[in-house]
Amino acid sequence: MEVQKELKHDVVSNLLSQGKRADGRQKLQYRDIVIKKDVLENAEGSALCSIGKTQVLAGIKLDVATPYADRADEGILSTGAEFTPLGAPHFEPGPPRAEAIELARVVDRAVRSSEAIDLKKNVITPGEKVLAIYIDLWVLDHGGNLFDAALLASMAALKGTRMPKIEDGKLNRKESSGMLEVSKDVVSCTFAKIGKDFLLDPSFSEEIGSDTMVILATAGEHLCSGQKSGKGEISQKELGELIDISFEKAKELRRAIA
Amino acid sequence: MARIVVPGEAVSEKPAKMAYTYSDGKKTYATIISMLTDENKLIPLQGPYEPLKDDIIVGYVNDVRFAGYSIALGAPNSAFLASRNTRSTFELGNIVMARIESVDEVGTIDISEAKVLENGRIERISPVKVPRLIGKKNSMISMIADASQCKIVVGRNGFIFITNDGDGALANEAIDIVEAQAHTPGLTDRMADFLSKKCGREIKPRPQENMMEMPRSPPQRREGGYGSRPPRREHGRRKY
Amino acid sequence: MAEKPKLIKDDGKRLDGRELDELRPVAIKARVLNNADGSALVIWGKNKIVAGVYGPRECIPRHDQSPYRAVVRCRYNMAPFCSLEEHGRSGPSRRSQELSKVISEAFQNVIIAENFPKTAIDVYIDVLQSDGGTRCAALTAAAVAIADAGIPCKDLICAVAAGKIEGKIVLDLSKDEDNYGQSDNPIAFASRNDDILLYQMDGLLTREEAAEAVEMARVAAKKVHELQKKALQESFEKSGRIIFPIDEKPQKVQ
Repeated sequence: MEVQKELKHDVVSNLLSQGKRADGRQKLQYRDIVIKKDVLENAEGSALCSIGKTQVLAGIKLDVATPYADRADEGILSTGAEFTPLGAPHFEPGPPRAEAIELARVVDRAVRSSEAIDLKKNVITPGEKVLAIYIDLWVLDHGGNLFDAALLASMAALKGTRMPKIEDGKLNRKESSGMLEVSKDVVSCTFAKIGKDFLLDPSFSEEIGSDTMVILATAGEHLCSGQKSGKGEISQKELGELIDISFEKAKELRRAIA
Repeated sequence: MARIVVPGEAVSEKPAKMAYTYSDGKKTYATIISMLTDENKLIPLQGPYEPLKDDIIVGYVNDVRFAGYSIALGAPNSAFLASRNTRSTFELGNIVMARIESVDEVGTIDISEAKVLENGRIERISPVKVPRLIGKKNSMISMIADASQCKIVVGRNGFIFITNDGDGALANEAIDIVEAQAHTPGLTDRMADFLSKKCGREIKPRPQENMMEMPRSPPQRREGGYGSRPPRREHGRRKY
Repeated sequence: MAEKPKLIKDDGKRLDGRELDELRPVAIKARVLNNADGSALVIWGKNKIVAGVYGPRECIPRHDQSPYRAVVRCRYNMAPFCSLEEHGRSGPSRRSQELSKVISEAFQNVIIAENFPKTAIDVYIDVLQSDGGTRCAALTAAAVAIADAGIPCKDLICAVAAGKIEGKIVLDLSKDEDNYGQSDNPIAFASRNDDILLYQMDGLLTREEAAEAVEMARVAAKKVHELQKKALQESFEKSGRIIFPIDEKPQKVQ
């Protein structure tokens, strides 16, 4: 993998020096995005997001749980990601590794800080019982840019989540009491920095050949989750520019989950 | 008519000696998803790379050792290029083309005649589709190279070297088409049409003798059971 | 557990309207993922199961490898959102480890592993949605994925369950029928000669009933095998971008 990284870095920067990407895209151009909503019946919400060769499935389960002691007046939101070994040759079976945990936490922060879901509404008995929302991200194909695909899948799944009826503090999953309220469309833009260039929506080769990646999630007029992932550096000025681009590109992405 | 057969499907009502089949003494069955041609031969549609002597391969240096270089091929085992088999020196990450010197029964691959390929990248295709990508006398690959203005080297192992000059995205697109339609007839003509349209000039298949050496016969010519490895000693294994 | 529902209705049909020897609707698709060397999706009733294959590839850890043949490793895994009940816990359960073992063994029988010594063939099966009979659907998906990867096999195998509910032998138990029924027998067959490559059973059956269940499963396995074959053939008709066909509608099996 290490040699592959170096090799990809050389290839991608070589192509970039001629102003090209291997698949012929512009630097700030997304691959085709396809989203399939409500694809599972057992999960309360679900969606599949495919960007180029990347495919991420999001499943939403709802349960009744005890609230966290320091947040007794709020429902629970929990996000997990599984790099299932069928998703890429280098994914291995076993407990989630740092990369999977990072993906889950970046998505979690985006959904949580945007307040797209009002967790205060998910209290059943204050201090005792609350509704827990579990987002699980299933990476079926790693073709680069898992962050944007995962957040798109999560948002599309949340927006289609059926709320089961709550009877005597238990869920009756056979009956629905409407849909989960999602007040904002949260989307993220992932950039791969290679040399001095930033590539939006990196492919797998561009991602592993990059010096660093920058992920910026926006909701309306606010940033709501950010991550620099990788050892390379970025300047203050560059970060400012990426933030501007993220707000601009977010409009395009919102259409995909609308 | 040619048809697609799946593993375990009978391809002959009597025991027969064909590549990619086995017999239970009564009938002959396919072992791999393949096209059964009118000439009663099986052309695999998918499958791993089986290294054979004299194959031209494309790989990259993934380790430098005392006695030589380890070259990744996308096969389970990396190939080994002994220092005594080459006059050049290589660096980690160099993309190379080479000829397979020998393959032993546990899959150790020795290569020679290695040459560095510069200013380009590796794309992958299913190894069983390599003969189709090259075409008769290089007709397919020379067309793609002509249209895209890229230099292209196809390794038997399914690694394809494409230079950064030229329209690499078009080369990729054309290779994807071959990958998806390798088993369909008339592909060369369709490719010529596709490339001509994309380039706005006429692209024709022009068979060439010496663009690339591909001494290996296509897999359908191999006979005598799956692959044509030398028979190995049985270690009390059940025969199938 | 809730009260036991009546599993066979007065008109002799089952809860979901099936005849006693009728399969649930099934859809099989091959080549559904980009990265895996071979892949398949099986939608079987409400079960949705994806299988992906990598290999033959370098066998890690090395002490697993064999100088005689490729090791065949299957991993059956359930997604935390797969069931209608609560959110599942990740990590292999005792049940999934057992299923991984018996499914691996079925494939070790048919894969011609001697061609690839010192390597590994990894078969990963993810249950995205479960509704009873997941191991049969899982094995059926894995077989298609292995064939799609071009790994040489003696046979394209598939599995079907038969069981007993309310005193009658029935085919392909749904989750409720399994929970409230009397016996479940998942069985995998080699299509070429009907050899049995996976057999499990629970509950109580007389020897006549056990034989009847196996025969019923065998007949149905032939139909599933045809669908597997069709899926593989169809995967060569389409070209272009792969989008995971998780919303495919399963069809009634004739």
